[in-house]
Amino acid sequence: MRLLLWWAGRALSSAVTLLGISVLIFAALRLMPGGFAETILGPFATPAQKAELAARYGLDQSVFAQYGHWLAAVGTGDFGTSMISRQPVAAELWARLPVTGRLTLFAVAAAVLAGVPLGVLTALRARPGGGGAAGRLLSGLGVSVPEFALGSLVVFVVSRYGLQTSGYLLPAAVLSIFAISATARTTRDAVLNVLVEPHVTAAVARGETPWFIVRHHILRNAAGPVLTLTAYLLGGALIVEYLFNLPGIGSYVVQAVGRRDYAVVQAGVLLAATVFIVMNVLIDLLVGLVDPRLGRRA
Amino acid sequence: MSALLEVDGLEVDYGTARALDGADLRVAAGEAVGVVGESGSGKSTLGAAIGRLLPRQAVVAAGTVRVAGEPVLDLPPAALRRLRRQRLGFVFQDPIASLDPTMRVGAQLRLVLRAHGRDGRESPGGRDGGRGGADVAFHLARVKLDDPRVAAAYPHQLSGGMAQRVAIALAMAASPELLVADEPTASLDSQVREEVLNVVFALARQAGTSIVWLSHDLPAVARRCDRVAVMYAGRVVESGPAADVLGDPVHPYTAALARSAPAVAVPGVRLEPVPGRPPVLTGPSPGCAFAPRCPFAEDRCATERPEPVRVGAKDVLCHRAAELEVIA
Repeated sequence: MRLLLWWAGRALSSAVTLLGISVLIFAALRLMPGGFAETILGPFATPAQKAELAARYGLDQSVFAQYGHWLAAVGTGDFGTSMISRQPVAAELWARLPVTGRLTLFAVAAAVLAGVPLGVLTALRARPGGGGAAGRLLSGLGVSVPEFALGSLVVFVVSRYGLQTSGYLLPAAVLSIFAISATARTTRDAVLNVLVEPHVTAAVARGETPWFIVRHHILRNAAGPVLTLTAYLLGGALIVEYLFNLPGIGSYVVQAVGRRDYAVVQAGVLLAATVFIVMNVLIDLLVGLVDPRLGRRA
Repeated sequence: MSALLEVDGLEVDYGTARALDGADLRVAAGEAVGVVGESGSGKSTLGAAIGRLLPRQAVVAAGTVRVAGEPVLDLPPAALRRLRRQRLGFVFQDPIASLDPTMRVGAQLRLVLRAHGRDGRESPGGRDGGRGGADVAFHLARVKLDDPRVAAAYPHQLSGGMAQRVAIALAMAASPELLVADEPTASLDSQVREEVLNVVFALARQAGTSIVWLSHDLPAVARRCDRVAVMYAGRVVESGPAADVLGDPVHPYTAALARSAPAVAVPGVRLEPVPGRPPVLTGPSPGCAFAPRCPFAEDRCATERPEPVRVGAKDVLCHRAAELEVIA
């Protein structure tokens, strides 16, 4: 019963969050200088031409009316049609999902397969007052250099020397650098926090081997923060695919922002927000399973 | 016969603070020794050093620790782990935190029993082959936890007393030769304390396990232990048979401590607190660390480090032990 109530609460708060996001993005799009008509028709269009185009897409109505229409349509599963391509937005997004999904999966896999072991190893090797500085510096760089900066640099260097920029290798590498650094850092801190807990000392006192202690007494205890982080790895793919011109959801939505393709931006942002919220709920659930103390709080 | 535990001249520093300043301790097989002292006297550091469980920032400046003749502080990692597994058991202050919060009690106990199985050591009570279910129940019953729900519980669902009994079951599962209990009842209320101590001492007697019990509860130690070692400023200042040390103390600090214990007070007579504060050492104490608080101190007490003096059945770390023995 309590669990059911918890789920109901989560669903309700998620719905409210999504509604709020839709209002924000709707308002932000309408506040951007240069509307759809100006962007499409260019600077030399007459007011009459603009008015005609706006009327065709219902943009002459009040913002509130537009939002109402849009929300009602979304309620029936209709996300509208792209004003540029005239295709249903849902189908367009769906077609681009595999590209983004593949990149994201790659980043998460890199984070788990390389970031977690790196974090555990550096935590176990950490000595007070020495060592680890190089690792911290590297992972600090990896975390703080934004993907768009690193990605632009890679694109520049590669194209400067006439190399091939297409394919998944480079964007996946750029994305992985962030994912691995962030995961290694978070894992390291989480493991260091667990290492000083009395139950680890108790395990050491029982004569257990370091590997046994890591496997049985540290990984589960340190998993919470690392799991939480994975939700934040999702955003990176959207930026990187735009930089490398991969036909994913991120590049589609960024292009749509430039062309004031309102329906596409609204649906894309809503989709991203939904994925983010669902991931967070799932991760909360997972964290509760891994650490029973947290599960009880639900 | 050599003692099971021999600590000689152990000096341990934490950065600039000195926790142990030449501590000596001997524990014979099957013996229960209470190590008594105020907070900061070095009890916990001494206890941790027995299993080389000192925090990373601790530096052993001098001295040796031998368990069954093996030099604990110099053993290679594999031998150290074998020593810990086969000969030593530890029980800590905070019972709930000393259990893995993400594992059910039964699973933790099974894990420990499995490790002992790998050593080829039979733990008492169960040989049901693989699953270890009967073993878990047996080991929990030994610490008077008969409720089957305990094995299925997570540590945070237990009371402090129950959690400490689980920790004792884990520590005693391999029938260690020496159990180090660092204030195992400090975080428990007084009623539960006695029950937990009963469990510890009954199990130890049954298994022939020696106990080093670190405590600041003088009367409780006197009741249960064969011998008592009193610590002050990182040294054992007086040790010997429990009744002798507490009933007929020689060292001025022991005497003051005995007079300040509420439980031994005669109604109507004021408790005498020990005047002054214990020192915080930053290096070896030049003389007797208690000298500034000692009513019997002479000039040499401040400049000459006292060496153990045999007084009756006791070892006393005091320049004036012989004279004070006559006074007492």
